Amino acid sequence: MGVAAALVTMSALILLTGVLLVEAREVLDWRFFLDPPSRVAAEGGVGPAVAGSLWLTFLVAAIAVPLGVGTAVYLAEYAPPTRLVKAVESVLTNLAGVPSVVYGIAGLALFVRGLGLGPSILAGALTLTALTVPLVVVNCRKALQAVPDEFRWAAFGLGASRWQVVRDQVLPAAAPALLAGCCAALLRAVGAAAPLLMLGAVSFTTFAPGSPNDPLTALPTQIFAWAARPREGFLALAAGASVALLLLMAAMHLVLFAHRRRQKGTWS
Amino acid sequence: MVMSAPGPALPVLSTERLTVRFDGRAVLKDVSIEIPLGRVVSIIGPAGSGKTTLLRSFNRMNELIPGAKTAGTVHFQGVDLYDADIDQAEVRRRIGMVFQKATLFPKSVFDNVAFGLRAKGVEGDLHGLVEEALTVVGLWSGGAEVLDARALDLTAGEQRRLSIARALALKPDCLLLDEPTAALDPAASAKVESIIHALRHECTIVLATSDHTQAGRLSDLTAYLDSGRLMEYGATQELFTNPRNERTESYLTGRLP
Repeated sequence: MGVAAALVTMSALILLTGVLLVEAREVLDWRFFLDPPSRVAAEGGVGPAVAGSLWLTFLVAAIAVPLGVGTAVYLAEYAPPTRLVKAVESVLTNLAGVPSVVYGIAGLALFVRGLGLGPSILAGALTLTALTVPLVVVNCRKALQAVPDEFRWAAFGLGASRWQVVRDQVLPAAAPALLAGCCAALLRAVGAAAPLLMLGAVSFTTFAPGSPNDPLTALPTQIFAWAARPREGFLALAAGASVALLLLMAAMHLVLFAHRRRQKGTWS
Repeated sequence: MVMSAPGPALPVLSTERLTVRFDGRAVLKDVSIEIPLGRVVSIIGPAGSGKTTLLRSFNRMNELIPGAKTAGTVHFQGVDLYDADIDQAEVRRRIGMVFQKATLFPKSVFDNVAFGLRAKGVEGDLHGLVEEALTVVGLWSGGAEVLDARALDLTAGEQRRLSIARALALKPDCLLLDEPTAALDPAASAKVESIIHALRHECTIVLATSDHTQAGRLSDLTAYLDSGRLMEYGATQELFTNPRNERTESYLTGRLP
């Protein structure tokens, strides 16, 4: 039963990748990953979009991970179970379930217009951060709560302070699950097209963004823009950009996998 | 050192009208007990009678459980343990605890024993202190390989002894042992009991046990807890041969409903 389910899931993934590769067979080469988009479908590439997505991933990770993990540690390890704390927890859980397009509207009002950042990489990163932080908090809080209380007691019983308990026992024990939780949240951010479209992401730019102030461009919005074009050549480009996005996500999974292997068996 | 002289000994730990509630439910009710210096005291009683809670109130472990409320007082060497100025970590260093489950850290034997010392901020080479603690529990035979062994690879009996060594490394004045031989085979239990027997020269020992024959073998004094109340407390010999309380007698003779 379980094996059958696994096979169905696996074949769905292989089928999806296969279809994308067939669709994109004409455009996929090294040039495609580096070149900017072009009016001529055959000459177009995803260089700026890849750079934009890398920027976004980096910025979102740099802000959302410390903020989210810190909040989760506070909620799970420090906060007394008061009504206020419980309210904060349920608000975060609800925020984690809000559709990403809603974050786009909020980001447009807050970052693009309110702070006057315009449709820049930075505005995109901040919007995606807002979307990612609640997910990081929810995932990491679960990871911390999965560490049995006996471990905390054992450490407290040996005269450790709360911070020593958290730093030396709880965080190392929860590390694989924390990393998985952060990656899952980041993957959602990397794959999100809707909020970036709301902000006004560009799909035709001739240069790769070199700083957070450059125009916002990213793989998911590039895919959307190309897929929305009627001419056939652009559909192949959309498929190619999808392959690029999957590769980026696979790379993130690889980091996670490598770390898991290293951690394996250290805690039961 | 050993208090072999007869007569009343100085209490090192004492509770007065101690009541502990978890989410409003009283688990300990009005318990007043004195633990004399240098003695081994057993707390016996049926499951759920509050043995563990009483033990944990001696080093302020109960307050780590959300919803726990403590009323009454606990004194250690004349100091109110629940005073606002008291450093909880220091309390737990002076009054060590060995839990019912060994819950070793997923690290080496050395790191497990050194954890408390490092948390305390002890500087320099910890090998001497770690090896000393391991010697007491019979896990040190001079070979360095045991220090690097993974704690979770040890047998159940060795794990229990390591968890005792971990607490002993801090050289506590008082040691609290919660069901020290629970789930161990007879040979491993005997080893742990002989360690406890030898330790009575080093520190005051309070142990909670559901095996009253163990209390008989190990302790100078025995307390009988029932439904959170201290029913009877006195010299082990006296309590076993001539219990004054009806419930105590029923429990000891296995007739408790």
